[in-house]
Amino acid sequence: MRRILLAAVAAIALGGTALADTIKVGVIGPFSGPFAIQGKNFKAGIDAWTALNGAKVGNDDVEIVYRDLPAANPAQAKSLAQDLVVKEHVQYLAGFYFTPDAMAVTPLLEQANVPMVIMNAATSAIVTKSPLVVRTSFTLWQTSVPMAKVAAQRGIKKVITAVSDYGPGVDAETAFATTFKADGGQIVESIRMPLSTTDFSPIMQRVKDSGAEAVFAFLPSGPTTLGFLKSYNENGLKQAGIQFLAPGDLTQESDLPALGDMALGVTTTFHYSIAHDSGENKKFVAAARTAIGNPAELSFPSVSAYDGMRVIYKMIEATGGKQDAKKAVDAVKGMAWESPRGPVSIDPESRHITQNIYLREVAKAEDGTYYNKEIQTFPNMTDPGLAAAK
Amino acid sequence: MNADHLTGAARPVARPRFSASADWIGLAAVLAAAGAGYLLFPDNLALLTRIIGIIMLVLSLDLVTGFCGVATLGHAALFGAGAYGAGIAAAHFGISDPVAMIAAGSAGGALAGLLSGSVILRGHGLGQLVLSIAIVNLFHEAANKAAGWTGGSDGLTDIAPTPLFGVFAFDLWGHTAYALGVALLLIVLFLLQRLARSPFGMLCRGIRQDPIRVAAMGAPVSKTLLAMYVVSGLVAGVGGGLNAISTQVVGLDSVSFTLSASALVMLVLGGTGSLYGAIVGTVVFMLFEDFVSAANPFHWLTIVGALLVLVVLFAPRGIFGTSVRLLERSRRR
Amino acid sequence: MQSVLSVAVDALAYGMVLFVISIGLSLTMGLMRVVNLAHGAFAMVGGYLASYAMRDLGLGYVVGLGLAVAGTVVIAAPIERLLYRRIYNAPELIQVLMTIGITFCVIGIANYTFGSTLKTISLPGLLSGPVDLGFRSIAAHKLFAILCGFAVAAALWYLVERTSFGVKLRASVDNTPMAAALGVRTKSVYAASFAVSAGLAAFGGVVGAELLPIEPYYALRYMVTFLVVVAVGGAGSIGGALLACLVLGAVDTAGRYLMPDYGEFFFYLAVILIVCAFPRGLLGRA
Repeated sequence: MRRILLAAVAAIALGGTALADTIKVGVIGPFSGPFAIQGKNFKAGIDAWTALNGAKVGNDDVEIVYRDLPAANPAQAKSLAQDLVVKEHVQYLAGFYFTPDAMAVTPLLEQANVPMVIMNAATSAIVTKSPLVVRTSFTLWQTSVPMAKVAAQRGIKKVITAVSDYGPGVDAETAFATTFKADGGQIVESIRMPLSTTDFSPIMQRVKDSGAEAVFAFLPSGPTTLGFLKSYNENGLKQAGIQFLAPGDLTQESDLPALGDMALGVTTTFHYSIAHDSGENKKFVAAARTAIGNPAELSFPSVSAYDGMRVIYKMIEATGGKQDAKKAVDAVKGMAWESPRGPVSIDPESRHITQNIYLREVAKAEDGTYYNKEIQTFPNMTDPGLAAAK
Repeated sequence: MNADHLTGAARPVARPRFSASADWIGLAAVLAAAGAGYLLFPDNLALLTRIIGIIMLVLSLDLVTGFCGVATLGHAALFGAGAYGAGIAAAHFGISDPVAMIAAGSAGGALAGLLSGSVILRGHGLGQLVLSIAIVNLFHEAANKAAGWTGGSDGLTDIAPTPLFGVFAFDLWGHTAYALGVALLLIVLFLLQRLARSPFGMLCRGIRQDPIRVAAMGAPVSKTLLAMYVVSGLVAGVGGGLNAISTQVVGLDSVSFTLSASALVMLVLGGTGSLYGAIVGTVVFMLFEDFVSAANPFHWLTIVGALLVLVVLFAPRGIFGTSVRLLERSRRR
Repeated sequence: MQSVLSVAVDALAYGMVLFVISIGLSLTMGLMRVVNLAHGAFAMVGGYLASYAMRDLGLGYVVGLGLAVAGTVVIAAPIERLLYRRIYNAPELIQVLMTIGITFCVIGIANYTFGSTLKTISLPGLLSGPVDLGFRSIAAHKLFAILCGFAVAAALWYLVERTSFGVKLRASVDNTPMAAALGVRTKSVYAASFAVSAGLAAFGGVVGAELLPIEPYYALRYMVTFLVVVAVGGAGSIGGALLACLVLGAVDTAGRYLMPDYGEFFFYLAVILIVCAFPRGLLGRA
């Protein structure tokens, strides 16, 4: 209803004396279906941004138009993007949880004169597909490489990797293995588990039999993570002293209540912890928790969405509200700011975010909730995945 | 759980009142609808093109489910094979001419039809349903494993179709893709109307009603069904190829169980056994979904679920089937 | 050798969890001839109710389990009366359409009411620790699931084969008009067996929650697995479902242990082979 009203207001404004324009931002994300919680986090991050910074840039109103894309579906992504661009006249496209969806939209950007701000999709190559793509999230390479460094620092020699058999899993595996081997480590075995795996006991048996000192794992957050960690604990791997290494998707905050004590002491590397200690973050978390309703649902996509909105506001400011995708993207190249996750900047070359990666440990707070406690910082990481692909 | 029970209970023998004029009226109606779509949604041709691609999938499903009585929850295997066929031809072999890509798509679909048909037709009832699920999941897993060819879960990219007939480029607004889609749909529909009226089509309907009697008459039941599966693969493959051309990315979703199940839902929603039911069901379902999911991106699934339940309660023969029946009844009065 | 035994125990536990959830579906599909794709939705409702009772109301495990089963039956009864009763004799594709519609509604409502985070069901101390089997330790809740599986199988067998309700049910299924003519109130019999099936689903949802965690998409995520179990076992056969779960659990677990990268191929190829060899399921009735 509000949208219709806004549109009506905009129409009147356009028809009469143009006092202010409405600039539309189209956000495509999984707002229903199995990944609904991640889509909710997009919205929470965006709402937190507008709550703290207003829905206006200069004289122009900013309006967000949401479109639901429950699971990876490039054809639907393309038709939604086209609908947003051609019918809704959005000047910016944002969101995108899955890689293939973002890939399907990149060929449209040039012709549509629309920049795309990716708030999650984490395959390195997307930014090379169009010069109008800016990414404020992370790549699996970015978050996995530090874990390999940590493993080497801890004096671990033999690691077994176990990842879900899909793009991000393979990325995480390659990133970890390449770095770990370069540091003199040995990968005793690499397991790729089908995404539909529910019972991980046989995998754990295999990990045990492999004689590795640690297991590096990557699975999509949600039920699979829960099952994997449960099996890790129940099959006695923890007691056997086999260390658990993973990127932070596995201990995302919205899963922690379900993981409970099982996750205590698990160390992961990631770009953002809700418990990050800074004024900027406290402000953000308070606003985002109000926006999402249930504080337990807040997780990492919200911060990429929040920073994505900062980038978009900067673009609107730089173009004075005129539609000029190239100028907008040029304006944010090299842009640096203090994000809730720490200091970040947009790499002018790749248009991917440069950020700190933190080693964190799951800990229990005094009020009984669980959080990711940052214990080590890898400052100013660019995306190593792009360099590796070259 | 015999085949007849699956699709139409005690429906009177398929009405053999096909007339050439009805076919032309049908084609004209589809063309008119396509024109109306263009005028009503000029800004959303990508959606309309996607709908046409899915219509091909549902039509192809109707050939095996509605005509032959084969229950399958794995038909996306054929569609996806078409999409990957066209996509791989373009991305790996440089065959970027849209017409050639469609041909590659239908070849891929036909091959997948032959393969999955020869497995699925071995089962009956629930067993058949589960075989089809197993097949589509195997296809999905194979496409995921062969990431070098298919791009795996990141999707197959680098598909850049050349302008159609060297003249019409595929642009942002999707005019070319839509026109190509409409043309393909009309051609496919025209051919399928012939097929439905042919002795082969009648034989298939006969098998649906009583396979044992047909076999006793000396007709080759399993060969006929397998042939229909290949035809069905051709049609689904055209849809998949169209999808690959218009999206320029092929994702694993095109060989998923989810897509297979949605296709079956759309077919039953429209009404099985008549080509138009497949079209009506797909158009209604996809437009409805697009509308409610844009209106409320967060909780639209409940409304779609309610629609399905309501259709079963008030239009148990599907939207098209029940409308035709109401029309006939009012005419008789 | 130790690894083999260890994998075998895992296989047994996984199979029995599948059994407890799927047996209700086998009953509806085999005896009542309804393709009930919403079966997983009832299991999910059970899981949510148990989680709510234990986490938010602070009730114990047994009470929560009982409440979940009773609550699901209470929710299922009007759905049976208003919706399922109309499709008992409908063609199967219509049943598919209706039950998928119901599943969508349940998912949407669960997402709206409970949010989309994972819900856990906290185990009592007795079930949360490991149990030493000599050659390895196993989580106590897995042993509990195995026991529940055998108990459910025995109880159901007794109900269907040895009680007067079972006789009426089988009579209603085989020939509804004749059973009605003989004074069996077939509608009540169907309603009661539907309630049993929904209750079993809820029971399985709670007991199996450690392996199949409760979240809104549960209803669709595991639907295929449940269908496969019923088809492989033979719809309506308790022994068949039990056998199917043991075989599929073994194939799945062994496949994932031996060739984790190709676990999916292993599983579905086995399903294809079994269904082609036994078109009516391992112990299905003709």
